[in-house]
Amino acid sequence: MKLAGLKSVDGAHDESIWAAAWVPAADHRPTALLLTGALDETVRLWRPDDLASAAPPVQGHALGVVSLSAHPAGAIAAAVSLDSYVRVFDVDSGASVATLDAPPSEVWGIQFHPKGNALAAAGGGSGSVKLWETEKWKPITSLPVPRPEGARPDKTGSGKFVLSVAWSPDGKLLACGSMDGTIAVYDAVRMKFLHHLEGHHMPVRSMVFSPVDTHVLFTASDDCHIHIYDAKEKSLIGAMSGHASWVLSIDVSPDGMAVATGSSDRTVRLWDINTRASVQTMSNHNDQVWAVAFRPPGGTGVRAGRLASVSDDKSISLYDYS
Amino acid sequence: MATVFIPVQGTEEEVRVALDQLPADASDILDILKAEQAPLHLWLIIAREYFKQGKIEQFRQILEEGSGPEIDEYYADVKYERIAILNALGAFHTFLGKVERAQQKEVHFKEATQYYNRASRIDETEPSTWIGRGQLCVVKGELQMASDSFKIVLDEDGNNFPALLGQASVYFLMGDAEQQHKKAVDYYRNSLDLYKRALRAYTSCPAAVRLGIAFCRYKLGQPDKARQAFQRVLQLDPENIDALVALAIMDLQSNEAGGIRRGMEKMRRAFEIYPYCTLALNHLANHYFFTGQHFVVEQLTETALSSSNHGLLKSHAFYNLARSYHSKGDIETAGRYYMASVNEISKPQDFVLPFFGLGQIQLKFADYKSSLTSFEKVLEVHPENCESLKAIGHIYAKSGENDKAIETFKKVTRIDPKDHQAFMELGELLVQSDWAAAMEYLKTARNLLKKAGEKIPIELLNGIGLLHFEKGEFEMAEQSFKEALGDGFWASIIDGRVVSSVVNWSVQYRDQSFFHQLEEGMPLELPWDKVTTLFNYARLFEELHDIVKASLFYRLIIFKYPDYIDAYLRLAAIAKERNNLQLSIELIGDALKIDDKYPNALSMLGSLELQGDETWLTAKEHFREAKDATEGKDTYSMLQLGNWNYFAANRPEKKAPKFEATHREKAKELYSNVLKQHRGNMFAANGIGILYAEKAQWDIAKELFTQVHEAASGSIFVQMPDVWINLAHIYFAQGFFQQAVKMYQNCLRKFFYNTDATILLYLARTHYEAEQWQDCRKTLLRAIHLAPSNYLLRFNVGVSMQKFSASTLQKTKRTVDEVRATVSELQNAIRVFSLLSVASTYHSHGFDERKIETHVEYCKHLLDAAKVHRDAAEQAEQQNKQKMEVARQITLADQARRKAEEQRKAQLERRKQEDELKQVMQQEQHFERVKEQWKTSSNTPGKRKDRSKQEDEEGGSEKRRRKGGRRRKDQKTKTQYGEEEEDEYRDEQDAEDDYGNMARGNNGDNSEKAPGHLLAAAGLEDSDAEDDDMGHPQSAIERKRRAWSESEDDEPVQRPVQPSAGENDLSD
Repeated sequence: MKLAGLKSVDGAHDESIWAAAWVPAADHRPTALLLTGALDETVRLWRPDDLASAAPPVQGHALGVVSLSAHPAGAIAAAVSLDSYVRVFDVDSGASVATLDAPPSEVWGIQFHPKGNALAAAGGGSGSVKLWETEKWKPITSLPVPRPEGARPDKTGSGKFVLSVAWSPDGKLLACGSMDGTIAVYDAVRMKFLHHLEGHHMPVRSMVFSPVDTHVLFTASDDCHIHIYDAKEKSLIGAMSGHASWVLSIDVSPDGMAVATGSSDRTVRLWDINTRASVQTMSNHNDQVWAVAFRPPGGTGVRAGRLASVSDDKSISLYDYS
Repeated sequence: MATVFIPVQGTEEEVRVALDQLPADASDILDILKAEQAPLHLWLIIAREYFKQGKIEQFRQILEEGSGPEIDEYYADVKYERIAILNALGAFHTFLGKVERAQQKEVHFKEATQYYNRASRIDETEPSTWIGRGQLCVVKGELQMASDSFKIVLDEDGNNFPALLGQASVYFLMGDAEQQHKKAVDYYRNSLDLYKRALRAYTSCPAAVRLGIAFCRYKLGQPDKARQAFQRVLQLDPENIDALVALAIMDLQSNEAGGIRRGMEKMRRAFEIYPYCTLALNHLANHYFFTGQHFVVEQLTETALSSSNHGLLKSHAFYNLARSYHSKGDIETAGRYYMASVNEISKPQDFVLPFFGLGQIQLKFADYKSSLTSFEKVLEVHPENCESLKAIGHIYAKSGENDKAIETFKKVTRIDPKDHQAFMELGELLVQSDWAAAMEYLKTARNLLKKAGEKIPIELLNGIGLLHFEKGEFEMAEQSFKEALGDGFWASIIDGRVVSSVVNWSVQYRDQSFFHQLEEGMPLELPWDKVTTLFNYARLFEELHDIVKASLFYRLIIFKYPDYIDAYLRLAAIAKERNNLQLSIELIGDALKIDDKYPNALSMLGSLELQGDETWLTAKEHFREAKDATEGKDTYSMLQLGNWNYFAANRPEKKAPKFEATHREKAKELYSNVLKQHRGNMFAANGIGILYAEKAQWDIAKELFTQVHEAASGSIFVQMPDVWINLAHIYFAQGFFQQAVKMYQNCLRKFFYNTDATILLYLARTHYEAEQWQDCRKTLLRAIHLAPSNYLLRFNVGVSMQKFSASTLQKTKRTVDEVRATVSELQNAIRVFSLLSVASTYHSHGFDERKIETHVEYCKHLLDAAKVHRDAAEQAEQQNKQKMEVARQITLADQARRKAEEQRKAQLERRKQEDELKQVMQQEQHFERVKEQWKTSSNTPGKRKDRSKQEDEEGGSEKRRRKGGRRRKDQKTKTQYGEEEEDEYRDEQDAEDDYGNMARGNNGDNSEKAPGHLLAAAGLEDSDAEDDDMGHPQSAIERKRRAWSESEDDEPVQRPVQPSAGENDLSD
């Protein structure tokens, strides 16, 4: 398993790029596209392989885009900005589909349900995960994050502040990561809280479930570590270290063999899940790497693995994964 | 059977005395001798017979009677016999003097001299008297006088046999005593000539005469002739011990297996013939020492000791005994015997070996002064003895005289360029002062060992690894550590096999079930001599950010050696870095259970406690304990105490000005003390700089910070982000915004991978003061992105957007785009503020109650103010309608455009439309308000200031207020920074110290194999390593805290703002 640099676009945005997501191929569009969002309040669309701009930038994502998620059907996507609105838009035209917010709190990470029938959003200071259905965009429910039993009173103020969400690929589990490092796991079918996963004590900004073992969860934390949990059995089954600073983002390869991480140490690392070892370090960027994303399978060119990374240095890098 | 006949006086009869039946009481015989006035030679014969039978008392009785004054009178004309009796007594006392101990010696010598004097008075030419005198002189060591005596005899009679022998032995002894080889040879030659003459003069002389010839030959370096002579002695007297032993020694010196065997056989035979020959016993003991039969050695040497009074031989015997105990590890007994051995020697030239042994023992007992003296004695004899030189070098190193030590070891390498030990010691001695030379020496040592095909010691590889480590050459360091560790369980940690094979994972570093689980499968072995290297390797892993492997190593060390205190502290530091404070405190607790006075653990505990609201007071106690544990010599604990005082001065609950001043004073005193001890202590200088800055003495503070900054930038190992920040604060305070921005940015990038939200906040503030609204806003947005839960940042973003809008609208010329941007910024600001105010009701947990309250209050204020402004704006709009025509048109156009957009998005939900409308309304109101204010201010220039202030509300007036407040804050943050810096700095220092200790420890190991050294060294090492690492997590956490405390600060500052705005309104 290895990464090979394909292309880098400097100045892809006018400001720091904070979010990236692949839009899967759709019926009307044979290829997947890359979405990026930045502090410059725009969302931009890029072609795979050559990173050519695929559409004019979409403005209006006030205060900067912090999270992006594409609907599995490949037609629409959602973007979260620091003004705490979730803007759902048509990928190809950029036209607004819906604007959601979850008053009174802000919104951070979002992710569409793997079947596409719901959108989950990390509700920040509200200490909950918000869910919307995706037809009429009505709120379904708000899942509060309970305090872990026996938790010490937290005087530092970060409390239960929810930052990230992840659905398991079979849609049965939903996990959400917090500022204090704990991860809450829910039964996503019955919408019931199951348990907390412990081990991190610093913000968990990014999480992803394995496409192979659907209850294995990979987490990225400011404590420079990547943890591997069995989210169902509530156990820590591995830890990986090597980044010199916060691990900001994590994604798992479609074959489930590797994870890629982006860190504020300016590097992208590729990890072998079996050996729990870092196999490669990419240093294309010269500032924090805020997002890494493997291209989902489907569409033309499916065989070629692709990884994209975006950074505070305003650039996008595309790698071949094989 | 021999008999003597004593003639009975006056008759022809004789009394027959059988010599083997002499009466036990000599008086019986004496009575007869006296009564019969027996001739004096009979007295002598009988006395001699008693002597032969070992009846010394009777011998003396007869002779003393025989030399009494009555006899002198009676036998006045019998000269010869009288002289013979006196001489016999003289010889007897000479012998006694020879064997007796010192005090008795003198008495006997005196007696002997008196007897000889009496003999001389009878006839001063009698040769036998002179010979006796000569022998007495020999025994007394007065060789020249002895020689004179013998010469007198020989001048008379050149062939006088005893005189010849006497003179020969005098020459021989002179040869022995002679320092110069050439002269000594002359003496031996003279001696040999005399022996030969003696032999010619008396051919049937006893075999022992030939012994003299043999020894002379031997001394003259003619071993073959010597051997012949010894053999001739043995032919004549097969039981001659001296010849046998001498031959044996010659065989042994041949240094061949056969020779040694023959030698030992002869020794054994000598031992069988006469089991009390000390020389033979010593040699046998020596032999058995090398064959390892210590019990035999002890027996032999004990016999040797009891059978000899000869100093040198006794010394040999003691030495053998000492050596035996030494090799058995009983160094205390060994030391006593070495000492006994040394005491028997008058000068080291005689026998130097025990000095070496003694030196070693004294070294082991850390009696460096005595040890040094012992080894110097060895050097007197063998000035180029490398082992002694190395020992001396080692002693110098131990007593801190590094230069002397280095010089000594360099001498060793000159004498023996293949002495890898010396190179190794040199390398370790130079580690602190001269990296390149140290590396060179260590590598030479390694190459020498490699060439010799010897196993390279772990300490050497460890040392090389550490040097690479220090230089940042991590790969090389890793190679060395790997080579040092060799194969073992750790290898599977290094290559990750263990990491992936374990199912039951834990980041609870105290949990050892992991290893128990592994141990079921395979035995986990960790030899003690590898622990230090393993620890260093773990530190390397930390440096490479592979915390997982590092923590596994530390846990393995603790699993095997639960008293390895520094492994706990490293784990605690890692836990702290990962923000698992609870675990960190528990681990430090484990460490303190092992040693509750361990300064590093106490300091760590203190700095952890400083972060807790309930525990910060007890932190002081721990800092103080740490200081006491190091007897106040430890600058780190002093710095920490200084920091604590600084911290305390700024605690909100201690705000009473009196306390504040006291704490500051105390802090200053502590910092100054540190500086007195270490003029170059950057952290203390930084601390003092902060104190000056606090008093707004910017120039002094700046000077201090600049110097520290330069010093810190020059060193690879000092990480001092705080002085960068402090310097930036000073630039800021003096209004050099551009420099401040640059400084903050460099600091962020250089030390924090741009992840520190607090520094971003400082940066934003600087932009704000510089009226760079857009930069300010962006900086704050980045900060929010990094620290999402910091609501203060959100508030500030709102302020910055409002301020931006206000300033845009104040401009006389504005483009439509600018106004549009202004509108959207105002929208965003309102969104941000409204989110903030609602959010305050939501944070029912996780926040400090007080903090929530202030948040709520603040947001309410904000809302109220917004309403006031809206109303005011509406009024103003009506009043100034005409004048605002142009501006109105722009807004209308804007509205129209927006409406059109809305229509295009007709399918948007109704809620959203409502939102939009509301926003538009608000925006308009804001716009109006701004316009109105601008207008009024332009109308009444005198009041403009007030108006704009009022208008800005959170902006302008806040700014002013903040300026005051901020400076304060600056200082505060500075102080906190100061703390951190000091911590970090101190870490560095520790690291150095530890390294030094480590190196020294290794030295110790080399020469003495004392595991204690290693442990201590390793321990020290660890601790500093730990501290090193501590710096970062701590600062991160503290900064976070700081951020919060700042928000606390801000709110109180904010609150009074609103009322003051109201006042302004009233006055208007």
